[in-house]
Amino acid sequence: MRNILIGGIGGVLLGDDGVGPYVARLLASRYEFEQGVEVADLGTPALEIIDELSGREAVILIDSVDTDAAPGTVLLYRKPDIMRHRPEVRMDPHSPALVDALLSAELFGVAPPEVLLVGISAEFFEPSCNLSELVKASLDQVILEVLRELDRLGVVYRLKEYPDKLDIWWATEEVEAPLTT
Amino acid sequence: MANRITIDPITRIEGHLRIDVEVENNAVSNAWASCTMWRGIEKILRGRDPRDAWLFTQRFCGVCTTVHAMASVRSVEDALQLEVPPNAQYIRNLILIAHALHDHIVHFYQLSALDWVDILQIPKADPAATTKLAESLSPWTRNSRNEFKAAQDRVNAVAASGQLGIFMNGYWGHPAMRLSPEVNLLAFTHYMQALEYQRKALQVVGILGSKTPHIQNLTVGGVANAIDLDSASALNMERLEMIRVLLDEVVQFINQVYIVDVCAVAAMYPEWFKIGRGVTNYMAVPDLPLDSTGKTYDLPGGYIMNGNIGGVHPFKTASDKEFRDAVSEDVAHAYYQGGKPLHPWSGETEPDFTGWEAEKKYSWVKAPRFNGAPMQVGPLAQVLIGYAQGHPLTVKHANLALGKIEAVGGIKVSPDMLHSTLGRHAARAIRASMLAELAQKHLQLLTDNIAKGDLTVHNQPVFPSHEIEGVGTHEAPRGTLSHWVVVKDAKIKNYQAVVPSTWNASPRDASGAHGPYEASLLHTPLARPEEPLEVLRTVHSFDPCMACACHTFYPSGRQIAKVKVL
Repeated sequence: MRNILIGGIGGVLLGDDGVGPYVARLLASRYEFEQGVEVADLGTPALEIIDELSGREAVILIDSVDTDAAPGTVLLYRKPDIMRHRPEVRMDPHSPALVDALLSAELFGVAPPEVLLVGISAEFFEPSCNLSELVKASLDQVILEVLRELDRLGVVYRLKEYPDKLDIWWATEEVEAPLTT
Repeated sequence: MANRITIDPITRIEGHLRIDVEVENNAVSNAWASCTMWRGIEKILRGRDPRDAWLFTQRFCGVCTTVHAMASVRSVEDALQLEVPPNAQYIRNLILIAHALHDHIVHFYQLSALDWVDILQIPKADPAATTKLAESLSPWTRNSRNEFKAAQDRVNAVAASGQLGIFMNGYWGHPAMRLSPEVNLLAFTHYMQALEYQRKALQVVGILGSKTPHIQNLTVGGVANAIDLDSASALNMERLEMIRVLLDEVVQFINQVYIVDVCAVAAMYPEWFKIGRGVTNYMAVPDLPLDSTGKTYDLPGGYIMNGNIGGVHPFKTASDKEFRDAVSEDVAHAYYQGGKPLHPWSGETEPDFTGWEAEKKYSWVKAPRFNGAPMQVGPLAQVLIGYAQGHPLTVKHANLALGKIEAVGGIKVSPDMLHSTLGRHAARAIRASMLAELAQKHLQLLTDNIAKGDLTVHNQPVFPSHEIEGVGTHEAPRGTLSHWVVVKDAKIKNYQAVVPSTWNASPRDASGAHGPYEASLLHTPLARPEEPLEVLRTVHSFDPCMACACHTFYPSGRQIAKVKVL
């Protein structure tokens, strides 16, 4: 059986930081995956994310990124791109810890061989339950990148005949799912 | 002339805690704790259905999800004076205990042990001597030569590769590191094993809460777990048995490994019982209710002023009137508008960002005060307040731990020495061993109550149209958490969360009184001010968690944390 995680990371109360959980829920409502593929809204884990990563054959993470690229730009990062960062000197040891978690998993010999981070350049991180228009406009491409990675990994998936209702319970705006390819 | 050192994760939204210290003659002469991230998430809750608030508060922080969910439902239940059936209390208590056990294990091993353990000493350790030492300390069956050798091999491989990986940022070889190679190897081996046992504790949260990291089973008035001992999909005998097996393993790890390691490290660094004293006003609320109206609790609460342990004042309930009336938040040195301190029910969260100014505003954290005084919260407060009241479970586990430190290190640890950096670590281990005992008790209470035929898990909330106020508390891993809600017409009118790290990381108030982190750093000696390991040790002993609510990955390769010596 496969052992693959598709995980949306982010704070759903902080505007575009909620894009990861949004995409995870969108994927789960639209697609069926072969056994052993887990789709999860991971929220904002610190080092705890190591439990989600450990022992997987592949991990696809969806998260907002803070870059100079225009809001809504979709950027892809592979494991070496993430791991070349230094772990932090941590005053607050519970701050987000994707780099630390991957480095720890590597030390323990349980790091996933394949990691793809699908990053979405964010416009705003203020308290809000909705995504910016620019980030919303990128959702089709984000999903396309996830599906492309699944194809590369040889994972079987298909569109559901009757999609589940998209459950973005935190949003105050009407949520309209984009047409997925 | 004092040198100022800033320790500041400089990310735009991710960096949370900044510490500034002034150093004179290699000791800290002044300190500032500040939070660098704007919160104000509470405003999102205004106008929402109070029954849904816990889903949102669970998203305040990625680490403390469960505790914010629990405090939220309790706040609404307090406003409604709604009873919570015994089954629901036990299920909630089990979730809270399991979460706390996970949290304490992760804190000691993954997040703070490497302040005391020098990874670069490990290759020099003799695994056979480590085994002998370990066997003298504990009956833990995984203290085997094979486990120690395997852990040492991992470190050797990392060292040989020249890529320090996760250890890249440690202060290795620092003169304040003093454990023998064997003790370093012992602690590091347990650091690896700890990951397995914290996961088992989280599995308990997952079984009862149906999901982690965000539990799904809460509801205002109880829980949504279906209990049916004969149904495959409900909380049944098989699941209760799974919980029992998992808890037994976690309890064994706490008693045979965690508490032993804390005592061993404490015995090797006795001077740290004299460093990090700080604010000696302590507060904790009662928790783990044993009945549907919150009249009796398994964990006591109260407060201690000025380190006067004999003068402890108890809180009778989790929303004790004295507590409700005495809490206020001061914004004199925080980036918010406003003048005099406000009670949380009338609290405001309007930003007024000025930039960091030592004598004016310098933090996004408000300064909570109890009768106007700063309070230290967390395991040390929990243990001292229990000990002072003669709470049998606290006294039993505290005496066991203090006896162990004396046996290993030959030093007599008096309760007064617990007002310290090591005291906070020791108290967290003591609290964990208390919770481990209570985990098994509450599982038994739940099982027995179900066996009596009581399957009730929920009381229906009914909202009046007039305005009501409530406070929901939880004595969380990092201390007293309180959610304050005002409800009108079944809608949230105001909501404030006063979190444990707000008490401890609080900035100065209008009177100039330091918050607990700040006060605890004063007089700390620094062997190498440019490598302020000692500051990390003391700040980490509180286990800071500054609302890790925003979680963006920073791909640009910029330096994401710095130590700047001005």
